[in-house]
Amino acid sequence: MSYIPGQPVTAVVQRVEIHKLRQGENLILGFSIGGGIDQDPSQNPFSEDKTDKVNGWDMTMVTHDQARKRLTKRSEEVVRLLVTRQSLQKAVQQSMLS
Amino acid sequence: MFSRNHRSRVTVARGSALEMEFKRGRFRLSLFSDLPEDTELQRKLDHEIRMREGACKLLAACSQREQALEATKSLLVCNSRILSYMGELQRRKEAQVLGKTSRRPSDSGPPAERSPCRGRVCISDLRIPLMWKDTEYFKNKGDLHRWAVFLLLQLGEHIQDTEMILVDRTLTDISFQSNVLFAEAGPDFELRLELYGACVEEEGALTGGPKRLATKLSSSLGRSSGRRVRASLDSAGGSGSSPILLPTPAVGGPRYHLLAHTTLTLAAVQDGFRTHDLTLASHEENPAWLPLYGSVCCRLAAQPLCLTQPTASGTLRVQQAGEMQNWAQVHGVLKGTNLFCYRQPEDADTGEEPLLTIAVNKETRVRAGELDQALGRPFTLSISNQYGDDEVTHTLQTESREALQSWMEALWQLFFDMSQWKQCCDEIMKIETPAPRKPPQALAKQGSLYHEMAIEPLDDIAAVTDILTQREGARLETPPPWLAMFTNQPALPNPCSPASVAPAPAPAWTHPLPWGRPRTFSLDAVPPDHSPRARSVAPLPPQRSPRTRGLCSKGQPRTWLQSPV
Repeated sequence: MSYIPGQPVTAVVQRVEIHKLRQGENLILGFSIGGGIDQDPSQNPFSEDKTDKVNGWDMTMVTHDQARKRLTKRSEEVVRLLVTRQSLQKAVQQSMLS
Repeated sequence: MFSRNHRSRVTVARGSALEMEFKRGRFRLSLFSDLPEDTELQRKLDHEIRMREGACKLLAACSQREQALEATKSLLVCNSRILSYMGELQRRKEAQVLGKTSRRPSDSGPPAERSPCRGRVCISDLRIPLMWKDTEYFKNKGDLHRWAVFLLLQLGEHIQDTEMILVDRTLTDISFQSNVLFAEAGPDFELRLELYGACVEEEGALTGGPKRLATKLSSSLGRSSGRRVRASLDSAGGSGSSPILLPTPAVGGPRYHLLAHTTLTLAAVQDGFRTHDLTLASHEENPAWLPLYGSVCCRLAAQPLCLTQPTASGTLRVQQAGEMQNWAQVHGVLKGTNLFCYRQPEDADTGEEPLLTIAVNKETRVRAGELDQALGRPFTLSISNQYGDDEVTHTLQTESREALQSWMEALWQLFFDMSQWKQCCDEIMKIETPAPRKPPQALAKQGSLYHEMAIEPLDDIAAVTDILTQREGARLETPPPWLAMFTNQPALPNPCSPASVAPAPAPAWTHPLPWGRPRTFSLDAVPPDHSPRARSVAPLPPQRSPRTRGLCSKGQPRTWLQSPV
């Protein structure tokens, strides 16, 4: 019934593709990320999206710094994310009910 | 090809067999045109009858005071509409039988009577000031009496209502948000406005009332009501003196009384707010009496169709200003107070600028030209406008004598409409299409899904599925483990005892989640810095996880980092 970090988990995910914006010399995504396997999750003010993969790189077991690096690679203009959120489960249930 | 767009005339193609039959006087047009307005009216009548049945059922089923008030109001509005439509159908049938709707084809001569074009009339921003005694308003003493009020508006056979508002002595005015639009008014319209109020009593007074009221109203109309039905059917064109609403049978439950009324006409139309007098209809003994100041403020706007829709179009040759021999062929469209001359017919639709725009207003003079016969150009007409000291005349050549006659006819009709609609033709008054009214808010919390489906953030799938899962709660299977990621109580592996990890308490999500917009926490405290190297720490006090952490406290992460990407 509970989720144990470090153990494999199966989740409902959503694919999100984001094209980076150009700001000056840099390419940015335009949002912030928080957390990481090395962070304290009880301080998380949000409970929305959790990122599983970025451009093929696994994000489930990364530290904050590793996550940031994977998202801000200069060479990549497009970031493809696999994201999970609570409401996806409800959406699945809803489609199963009808 | 010349075409005229005017509702009350039928233009028949020249030389057609149908036209020949008309010329021989064999047929009357009324037999051909199955008046679509009548079937439309019948459809509306059937709809109101169904609505009335629904309102009766709702009234019988409701238990809360505000629901009963809304249901009673709906019932009364339905009743009055039914009466009004029945009366109108009766009048139309009588008129048909008496042959009043026979029509002559348009090319057999000018009609005996010219009728003005229709228009849209919109009343909005209605406000009725109240006049409380000093002691009541300022000191707010005594029981707080409340009233439920609404406005009923009638123009011709159309009846519309505003929303119901609860009034007590803390209000200085009764303000209605509704925009009410009547689409088919003539310049001689009479807009009757009536204010109805009901005293809102304590809950107990309503028990048993609504049910009996509903049964009584849903069965056949009582004797006094029947008399009123006959009376309204007999009176021609909407009685001015008797109130629109049927009196409700004295069964208990909420009773609406007529508090005040007034009638507004074309003279009251203005593109702005005006105050009009109200005739007060009830006095202090009446239980629903409200201290009205005696006026109503509103914005009454009218848009005649001749201003907003083209009334004539066709090919013309227009003399370029100052150049005697250079005539350009244009597509002319007469709309509102202008004659637009476009290079091509398609330009009128695509929004291209016209080659030339000629003003046609109250001051304009139009003449069918014989003057230019000398130039060898027949079938001309001239339009003259005075600009200060100068008179500017445009000369236009039409395709044929009949086309000239039709253009002149359209121009005469426009001048007639402008003389009838008066100030409404000076400038187009803006009318906003009324937004669909929200269903009444004060509904009882019953078990039906309808009441729970008032979703504020539209298309929010989380909200919809939340409501549905709450209702289908019994059928939920055990939640998948990954959802536990979203609680604040994940079980972190305790480095000191990897084998035994106390399972976290059951995640809180099995309780219905307090749904709402996803909370947006302001990141103001985090300095905005888009350089890739920046780091910031969320300014939250470190929270101790509620479950016991075991013996080893070091090694637990203490920070929550956020970085812009």
